[in-house]
Amino acid sequence: MKKHFALVLPLMLVLTLVLAMQTSYAAETIKIGVLYPLTGGAAAEGRELRAGAELAAEIANTSIPEIKMDMAKRAGIASMGGAKIELIFKDHEGNPTLGADQAKKLIQDDKVIGIMGCYHSAVTKTVSAVCEEMGIPMINDSSTSPALTSRGFKWFWRTTPHDITFTQDLFEFLKGITEGKAMGVPAIPKAQIKTLAAACEKTEWGSQVSETIGTLSKDYGFDLKKSLLYAAKSPDLSSEVRSLKSARPDIMLFASYASDAILMMKTLKAEKAGPKMIWGQDAGFEAPEFRSTLGDDVIGILTRTVFAPQIGQVKDVSGQVNFLYKKNMGRDLSGASARAFTGVQTWAEVLEKAGSTAPAAIQKAANTIMIPGEQLIVPWKGIRFAASGSDQGQNELGSGMIGQYQKNKTGEIVMEIVYPFDVATAKLIYPLKGF
Amino acid sequence: METLKNALDFSDFPRLDLTLAATVAVFLIVFPFFSHSSFAMSTLIQFLIFSLYGMGWNTIGGYGGQVDLGKAQYLGIGAYTTAVMLLRWDTPFWISMPIGVLLSVTWSFIIGYPLFKLKGHYFAIATIATSLVLKDFFEVWDLVGGSRGIEILAGKYQTPDFVHLIFKGDDYYYYVILLFFFIGILFMNAFRKSRLGFQLRSIKDNEDIARSLGINVHWAKIKTYAIATAFVSAVGSFHACYVKNIEPEDTMSLDISILIALMAMLGGAGSLWGPIIGAAVLVPLKSYLKEWLGAQAGMVGIDLILYGAIIMIISAAEPRGIWGMVDKARRRKRS
Amino acid sequence: MEILAGSLSAGLLIGMVFALVALGLTIIFGVMDIVNFAHGEFLMLGMYTALLTAQATGVDPLLTIPFAGLVGFLLGVICYLGFVKYLIRGPMVAQLLGTFGLMLVLRNLALFLFGSEDRTIHEGLLVGQSFDVGMGIILPATKLAAAVLSVISFTAIWLLINRTRIGKALMATALNAQGARYMGIPTERMNAFAWGIGGATVTMAGALLVNFWSVTPYVGLLFTMIAFAIVALGGFGSIPGAFFAGLIVGLITELPGLWDFAAEMTGFDWMASVPMTSFKYTWVYLAYFLIMLIRPRGLFGWKH
Repeated sequence: MKKHFALVLPLMLVLTLVLAMQTSYAAETIKIGVLYPLTGGAAAEGRELRAGAELAAEIANTSIPEIKMDMAKRAGIASMGGAKIELIFKDHEGNPTLGADQAKKLIQDDKVIGIMGCYHSAVTKTVSAVCEEMGIPMINDSSTSPALTSRGFKWFWRTTPHDITFTQDLFEFLKGITEGKAMGVPAIPKAQIKTLAAACEKTEWGSQVSETIGTLSKDYGFDLKKSLLYAAKSPDLSSEVRSLKSARPDIMLFASYASDAILMMKTLKAEKAGPKMIWGQDAGFEAPEFRSTLGDDVIGILTRTVFAPQIGQVKDVSGQVNFLYKKNMGRDLSGASARAFTGVQTWAEVLEKAGSTAPAAIQKAANTIMIPGEQLIVPWKGIRFAASGSDQGQNELGSGMIGQYQKNKTGEIVMEIVYPFDVATAKLIYPLKGF
Repeated sequence: METLKNALDFSDFPRLDLTLAATVAVFLIVFPFFSHSSFAMSTLIQFLIFSLYGMGWNTIGGYGGQVDLGKAQYLGIGAYTTAVMLLRWDTPFWISMPIGVLLSVTWSFIIGYPLFKLKGHYFAIATIATSLVLKDFFEVWDLVGGSRGIEILAGKYQTPDFVHLIFKGDDYYYYVILLFFFIGILFMNAFRKSRLGFQLRSIKDNEDIARSLGINVHWAKIKTYAIATAFVSAVGSFHACYVKNIEPEDTMSLDISILIALMAMLGGAGSLWGPIIGAAVLVPLKSYLKEWLGAQAGMVGIDLILYGAIIMIISAAEPRGIWGMVDKARRRKRS
Repeated sequence: MEILAGSLSAGLLIGMVFALVALGLTIIFGVMDIVNFAHGEFLMLGMYTALLTAQATGVDPLLTIPFAGLVGFLLGVICYLGFVKYLIRGPMVAQLLGTFGLMLVLRNLALFLFGSEDRTIHEGLLVGQSFDVGMGIILPATKLAAAVLSVISFTAIWLLINRTRIGKALMATALNAQGARYMGIPTERMNAFAWGIGGATVTMAGALLVNFWSVTPYVGLLFTMIAFAIVALGGFGSIPGAFFAGLIVGLITELPGLWDFAAEMTGFDWMASVPMTSFKYTWVYLAYFLIMLIRPRGLFGWKH
């Protein structure tokens, strides 16, 4: 027995060698690695994202002519002989180092020709660094920290608008309210909504939002009395809430993932915080759990959003795709799933244009592509990436919306659009009740 | 240069051990030349990194007998020093690393002095406390990027860059850390035969008697702690250049402190090969378990359940770890 | 003024809950001189037990407390008889290692069984209710109930230890295990009993906690640290010590609130930008460190 212990080490190493000899065999599909948080605090969003991406891949790979989308008319990538897209999903658990490791494995061992992901901006940061180092294209569908596109990366493109755009929407919205532009609400004097307090989760995403809120509130003449960062994994947020409350704000702004958004709202309610408006920078505020856990308490809460099912009434593709999604998942597309869908769609179009999986060809195609707005399920003007400049790789034609949870005529809680004002679908509820 | 002679003198080990060690060493040197998956390479690099952390831990935890569960803070200091100096002043790695070590050691002296007035579990908890305090502090300190951490963009450097230690791909990193690894072993060999090493052993056996022999117990422990710190900090600097993205949650978390202590204890604290064996068992176990099981959501945590169970068994049955078992078995055979 | 009152009341309230968490640790330490690193994990399991039982059976979460306590008692006894018993024979390092390993196993078992998403109780008699006592003092009903139950538990345990035969036997084992054995006290059973009680109190604390504190497999560590700080401050082995130390630690975690109050009083704007809330628990760790250095015996300790 004793001698055997001494053999453990070499055995371990032999095992390593053996496993090292394994190679993977490529098939006739185009492999794209997708990194999402499939477990952990954002697992709920991860599932949405995955569902959206898978639906897009399905539509890309089969011909569904009824859907008014070029991608749907084709079966696979026509310019590559109908080769099908295969999405390989990996879970990063919200951990940036793990994400980077997974990306390396996807590229070197699974031999993917491109990457998509990752939702958490902190993970997208490290994953994109890996892709940049290895010269593999990455399309970011869901992470909104502005810093991601200001690094001058040549292998990184982002379809979703980023947080500076979204936060600007917020301040334009607030400004518009003071000017009486909000549907159903008379002009509110600025003094009534001047004091702000913000609480953002402290990783890459939240801290960037926090910074942006700070800058823009100055620009727009609001008084940001308190701005704090917190750990999304915190089991208890009562001191944070009390701190926010002490600033006696009219409006509270948040950048939270799902579990902390829910906890924050519950704590706000318990502590009777009493703001006139609550706004969330999407993410947790749009997660299905948010609505299902808090129930009627969400009514009146505002959130930045990128997609609402009502868009289907104006845009045929949105309605058609939403219909399919609802059939599979039992609920409507959300901002997360819609963007994941758009991300895969962008990959399909880029590949179509490139005609090959060679990185250089993909890079060229991505830098010159223009996908018109009618093709997209999201209400953007289109997709066109800035090929240079301070925001290299950013889609210049995206836009955001602000939604508010309200009860519709049948008593269901839905997300109505309140901004941009000209596409508002319902009256604004102001002030917030129940907090 | 008696220390150098000591370092190279392995004669007090049985022939079998030395042959094995030599085989492993040769294997490690030639490994990259065989075709391998990137996964195997990164696992080996992790193995070497954790062996080094473990060896450092071993000085105070093994030979010194004081279980330290707060090593990650020095990893952080080393990593951040290198990263910040690189980003701000383009400092070469070979300068920022020693500076990191200097800062870490200074910090270790500052908290070591009060820390070593404690023993046993009080000491262990205190080390956790200090590590968490430092981590919290780093999370709000703008100089180190707060909770967002620091990112080193490889694209800005002409690779391979030996001055700043930025390379594309793993191979160069592998050899650098392998070099550190061999140096570390030589150092530990010299350490255990040095005066400080002997002092520690008598302290571990019986502190009061050691004190009556004239050994300044308090100082011996602090000096050893500083050595452990230096090891961890130096490798932390390497870690910054390898991973290129450091955040307090990632780099200075309690989990890493625990892993370091765990591997050393499992392999056999207080022996030369112990930490290496511990890392050799746990690092591949962790990586491959995650691979095979991790893909299925829901199999999360099995690797740590296994470690925990192994630790429980070892602590109840043989607290001296795997090496302790080997040693005991050998002694039984001899008698 | 409101901020101050609000913070103080919140600190005291949570302090009483923390004290209950620490009670089990001080009992086990008092009787056996072993520090249970897995203490926080017991708490975590208590939280999950309460949550899942409430969800599965539909009963109000508060009613699950006795059940959680039972589970905790069994868990403590099993851990002792199945494992800890063998640890005490070994060196201190082994004990540390051992309960450490136990911590990892319990934590990751929970991770494996329950997943890493966090959960809280969303429905219950008292959930979401609070009493506005005026002056800025808002007492969430669940926390109030937890504090009340904490006081009851402390009293009960104190009575148990000091007024019952079995309690006195426990004390005897704590003071001198050899001597107790000569007196005919079954020390093995006493040890197991101590672990049982220790486990029960902390799982019940967990069952209370989960009404307003979300649970993940990782919450254990924070509470282990808090419990250690409390036990160190109050004195290892002292039950009243644990209670008062709990209050103090509860107040320490409210330092951000007190800071805000000071900021408002003094009107220094820079104070508002100091991220105090990020340091909520840092002060607790620092407090532990300082106590161990200055007065290892703690406030009421009789054992060190």
